[in-house]
Formats: sequence, structure tokens, C-alpha cells
Amino acid sequence: MSANYIPQPDLGFIAEIKGLGGETLKKCYQCATCSVACPIAPENSPFPRKEMIAASWGLKDKLIGNADIWLCHQCGDCTDMCPRGAAPGDVLAAIRSAAITEYATPKALAKAINDPSKLPLLLGIPAAWFALLAIITTAFGGIMEKIFHALFGDALGGRLHWSHAHEGAEHVIAHSNFVSTWFVDMTFVPTAIFATVVFFLALKRFIVDIHDNAVLEGKTDKTSLDYKALLQSVINVIPMVLKHDKFNQCEANKDRSTPHMMVLFAFIGLFIVTAVCGIMLYVGGYAGPYPQLNPIKWLANIAGVSLVIGSGMMIKNRLTNKTQVTAYKDWFILGIVFALGLSGMLTEMARLAEIAWLSYFFYWIHLIAIFELFAFLPFSKMAHIVYRTVAMGYADYANRK
Amino acid sequence: MTTENSAPVSGSIMVVGGGISGLTTALEAAEVGYEVFLIEKEASLGGRVTQLKHYFPKLCPPTCGLEINYRRLKDNKNIKVYTLSEVQNVDGTPGDYTVTVKSTPRYVNSNCTCCGECEKVCETEISNEFNFGMNRRKAAYLPHNMAFPQRYVMDSAMGKDDREKVKEACKYNAIDFSMEESTFDLKVGAVVFTTGWQPYDATRIDNLGFGRYQNIITNMMLERLASSNGPTEGKIIRPSDDKAPETIAFAQCAGSRDENHLPYCSYICCLASLKHATYIRAQYPDAKIYIYYIDLRTPGRKYENFYAKLKADENVFFVKGKVAEVSEESGTGNINLVAEDTISGEKIRQTVDMLVLATGMQPTCAIDKPAADLTFDDEGFIINDFSKGGLFAAGCANKPADVVTSNQNATGMALKAIQTLRR
Repeated sequence: MSANYIPQPDLGFIAEIKGLGGETLKKCYQCATCSVACPIAPENSPFPRKEMIAASWGLKDKLIGNADIWLCHQCGDCTDMCPRGAAPGDVLAAIRSAAITEYATPKALAKAINDPSKLPLLLGIPAAWFALLAIITTAFGGIMEKIFHALFGDALGGRLHWSHAHEGAEHVIAHSNFVSTWFVDMTFVPTAIFATVVFFLALKRFIVDIHDNAVLEGKTDKTSLDYKALLQSVINVIPMVLKHDKFNQCEANKDRSTPHMMVLFAFIGLFIVTAVCGIMLYVGGYAGPYPQLNPIKWLANIAGVSLVIGSGMMIKNRLTNKTQVTAYKDWFILGIVFALGLSGMLTEMARLAEIAWLSYFFYWIHLIAIFELFAFLPFSKMAHIVYRTVAMGYADYANRK
Repeated sequence: MTTENSAPVSGSIMVVGGGISGLTTALEAAEVGYEVFLIEKEASLGGRVTQLKHYFPKLCPPTCGLEINYRRLKDNKNIKVYTLSEVQNVDGTPGDYTVTVKSTPRYVNSNCTCCGECEKVCETEISNEFNFGMNRRKAAYLPHNMAFPQRYVMDSAMGKDDREKVKEACKYNAIDFSMEESTFDLKVGAVVFTTGWQPYDATRIDNLGFGRYQNIITNMMLERLASSNGPTEGKIIRPSDDKAPETIAFAQCAGSRDENHLPYCSYICCLASLKHATYIRAQYPDAKIYIYYIDLRTPGRKYENFYAKLKADENVFFVKGKVAEVSEESGTGNINLVAEDTISGEKIRQTVDMLVLATGMQPTCAIDKPAADLTFDDEGFIINDFSKGGLFAAGCANKPADVVTSNQNATGMALKAIQTLRR
């Protein structure tokens, strides 16, 4: 620490951390048991003891751009052994949540996602939007067909049609009959682009900040930032992330690793399914629903079940684990993931049971859940998928062991 | 002495526990004329301090203070001492209590001269709890060389053959196995509980390895090792191989200031470890001593000076950070410890010959609750309710304290007990 460091206590920041599930932070008396208890803390400048004192003083600048908060997997070993009940694991989770808000733009949206009173609005807007799209699709299909034809005419050799339904679609339950696939993609492609742009802007600042912080605190042997080498490091850590190597070193909350892995792989599976379906539709002209015997359907089903079970177990763990704080930010994302998985599976089951209205209803829920996940990805706890991966990559790049 | 100045004795006072606090309470009350019953569950008075090599900060042996107190006790006919006795029940109201006391037999009467012939012939051995089980002693034993009363005890674990032998060996007719357990009532006007403390059970501090690794000992065990009347006759050697330790670490706040164990500061452990450093320095001038602490609590000018003296010592090192993980080095029995040095922000992995856990004090009354109308705090200390009066606590039954504070507290409670009688 340089001799002329002047601490800038930020009382508002302390209150923010407390509100995000870190209400115990002031109990810390700096015994440093946590830094030893943590199975993944590095030898040099281990966490979370130093983060606890910074949080207690409201030293926002030492926390927000600190990659160490992302190396923590919140396994709870520190919280278990803490002699003061200061719950460092929960405090770090709260700091991460504040960091997500800090790097996200627009700020107002980031703040709204951590605010329970804004939940009706965040759910209501996509609900109304998809309801509108459903009304247009079901009631004004003919008009849309005409508009579509007028706009695109015989482009691409007449292979483009408004409806993606099968031949004789009136006899099958196909969700494109409820909300047109065009509408779905017209919603989600821009949403995904929006999320990507938000992440890109955030990472630009985040990477510079974590590097500066590491240099300042002597946590790296690198003096300059080499983006290419950093990218390589990020790629290097991906197998470790997939295998949950770090997560599995935890003692106290060992049981959290498996559900987390199930959810992660479910999302990877569903991403592959979505990509294949998209290519099949727009390139091959082959529209869903796929028959149950199709391997892509198998993957979709396995991933869907894994998502429901994985997130269900996470919710159960959170409900039964009294030593770990579960704040609104945690319930928000767990709720969305669980709703996404469950509504997807129910949509399919209702379709197979040939109850069209029920299947369409679940599909509507499903669309809302997907929207919540994608649009709010850089703002919610789910953003850890990007920040933690980058931070772990940076630790690899910075030789932080 | 004029009649006006002498205390009108209108009742008796009971003191439960004959440690340093209890002795003080009993003597202070008795010396102004009150009848005092002093109840001690062990075979000897003196309590915890008898287990110490030195008091801090003056580094004088506890015999000092005890001798004076024993002298005062012998000179005072107002005090009736009951050893091997426990209070079973306290009934009544301030000024009028009936206390039920249970006495277990010593099997030795006042004829005993401590000649030690019984000990020589006795073959039965029992664990020596005075030395925290670090050695064994005969079932015919003197509690320790500072025992009061200076009288042997025949442990009930003694076999039939041995009983015959010791009886035969005793030239003074002092051994009497016909003694029986007795329960009796005493009428008193006030009771002061000076039941003292127990070293916190270190086996419960999972991450500090006590009980798993031989060369991890507690501070009170070190006290016994360093004492000339201890199991090693004062040689500080490590338990696994009797080696003279070259590096010794102290883990402060072992089980204290910890919600998972004792949530409060035990008050004495910092000074105790500093004092232990002086023992080691005197015995092994080249040994390196590492004290791992959260913060060193050395209240007052005298204690602060004591700390300053040790801080200036080139072989005593202070590391700010709690020992949170230990393991045993295979083959050597050395102890590996891990802590974060919070000043440098580095994780420290150190291998030492011996690790001493500075365990704290748990009030005896938290483990063995007296059957009396008392109020306890969450940690089991007795809260003094002066508006109610009658029943009081002094010393470590009331709060974690050093000897000086205990004695001040004990004197105060002697006065409170007297006030109850005179109301």
C-alpha cells in the first residue's frame, strides 16, 4: 500500500452491501480465519479478510474492480468457521452484486433488477409484449402473411413464408401458431445483441480496473495488460470452469456443486439445441416441433430435465441452509431459471397431451422467462458467468496462485 | 476493640469454592467477625492458581499469595473449611438460607503428617488431573505440595489389597476407610459463589488439532510443564519425544471470542502467553517464540509494560493473524500451522516444534449449574443482582478475570454478603 493512500469511505456503499445480503459485514474483527479457511484463496494477498475490512470501511474502489471477489465461489467454508458470524461468503456475494450493478449500463435497469418493487414491471412488460405478439399471430395471421408477402415477395426463391407451421398445421400443436417464430426471433435477437453490447462495455472497464487493482495491491507480476494473452488465459480456464474444479474444493457447501453443474450443462445443451433449430429452420426450412425420436429432441429433453432438477435442488438448498444468506438477488435469478426450465417442460408435456390452450399458456410463461434471463443477463446475478470467467482467466494471466 | 466497632454477628456467610476468590471472600468476611463456611469440592484449597508456575506480571510463584492466605485462614476461628464437599441445593431468602452440602470421604483424618508412607506402598495408579492427565499418580496422594489442608487423600479407585497395605503403612492411624459420604444442611444468611473456571475443552476446537496431534498443548498444560511440581519437574519438553522445543508458536483466542465456542474474551490468555514466553526464554535462550494473535489485550499500564518488554525481545515474534489450520509433519511430529499475516497480507505456513493453544476460561457454573436462585448470562456467568441480595458471585464465576481483579471483586462481594446480614 502506498504511503499516501487516502481512504475514501463511502457510507452509501456500506448500506448497499448490507442491503444486498451482506448485513453482517460490520461484525468482522479481522482475525483472518476466513483467508485460511478458504480452500481457493491464493497465498499472496488471500481473500476474503482484506475484502471484509474494505467493505467495513466502505472502500468501494478497493472492491468493485477487485478480481478476487470473483474468484470466490461462495462455498461457505469461511462463513462456517467465522468466529463472529460475519459471514464473509455472503458479504462477498453482496459485493459481487454491487459490482454487477456498477459495470452495467443503463444504471437504472441494473438498480431495478435488485429492487423487489420493480419486479411487477420487469415481468409485466415482456408479459404484455408476448401477449400482444400472440394476439397478432393468432388473430391476424392472414394480414401478417399479406404484409410479409408484400415486403419480401419472392425473395430467396419464395422460400420465405410468414408461417413456419408444418403442412396441415391446424391439426398439430405448434408454438409458431401461437407466437410466430419471426416475432420470437425479432424479440430475442436484438435482446441478445443488447446483452452482448452491455457486457462488452462493462468488460472494457472491468478488465482495466481489475488489472489496475492487481498492480496496486501487488497481486500480479504483469505490469502491462496484454489482451491477447489474457484471452488465451480465459480460454485456458474454461475446462476448469466446466469441471467445477474450484467449486469442488469447497467443504461446507459441497452439495452446491452438482446442481450448479447440472444447470450450467443444461444451458450449454439448450444453447446447442437452439442453435441447431435455428440453422435447421432458416437454412434447412425445417420447422418444429421435432419428433421425440430426433437426437436433438433427446438433448433438449435431457437438458430441460437437468435444468429443472438442478435449479430445483438449488432452491431447496437455499431454503434449508440457514447458515447462508439468500437475498432477493438470489431468489430472482433462481426463480427465473427454475421457471424457464419448468415452463419449457410443461409446454412440451401439454403439447404431447394435446391440450393446446394449456401448452400455449406455458409457452407464454416460457417466453417471459427467457426474456428475463437474456435481457437482464448483464444486470442480474447471472452475469457471474462472464465476470467470474474473466476474473479466473485474469488470475491465470496474472500468475495469481 | 469496643462493642460499637465489633460486628454484630447475626448470621453466617457461605463461600462456595476455595480458589483465590473464595479465600479472599472468606477471609475478608471472617476477619471482620463473621462466621464463614468455605466449601471446596477438591481435596485442597487454592484452586487454579496452584497450577501456575508464576503470576503475571510480577512473575512470582503463587505460593506467595497462597501462603499468606493460608496463614490468615489458620489464625481465624471464624472460618470452617469443608473440602471434598459440594453444594447440592440452596433454599430460602436473603438472610435465611438453608444450604445442603454433600461431603465425600477423604479416608484420611487429621492425624496425617504427610510422611508419604502410604503413597510408597500403594500400587493403584490414577490419572493426575492436577497435571491435566499428563502423568499418573498413586491412588494415595497429596493433591500437590501446596495443599491445604496438608493431608493425603485416598482415592476411591484404590483396590482392596492396597487399602490394607496403606493402612498398615500408616504409623499415625490416619487412614480410616470407614468414613462415609454425608449430606448435611447449613443455615446461612448469604452465599457467595466463587466457583471459578475450567480451561475450555480444546478438543472442541476442531481446526486446531488438539487431541489429534501430540505436540499441540494448551496454555494450562504448559503451565504445568513449566512448574517445578509438574509432570516434568519444570522442564518444558514436547509430549511426543521429550525434545526441547526450538520453535514454539502460540495460538491466541483459541476458542475465545468465537461464536462457535466462547463468544467472549477470556481476559487472561494474552498475558498468560506473554508470561509463557518468559518461561521459555529462561529455559531455552535460543528458542524462537511466535505469538499469533488477533489483537493483544494487555489492559493497564503494568500489563502494557509487560508486553513492551516481550516485544523488545529479539526471539519473540508477534504475528497479527489467527492460526486457523494445523497439521502434523509426518515423521517429525512437528506442527504445520497456517495463518494470514494481516499486516503483510501474506499467508504464512510455518512449521514449529510445538504449538500452544491459548485457550480461555469457561465458568465452572456454566458446566455445573448451582441449584440456587441465581441469574445467569448467556455464557453461564452469574449476574449479581444487588437489589435482590443474598446470593452473589465473585471472581471468574462472575466474569473472566485475572487474579488481581478477582480479589478486588471478591472483597466487594464479602461486603455485599455482610450487608445482607445486617439489613
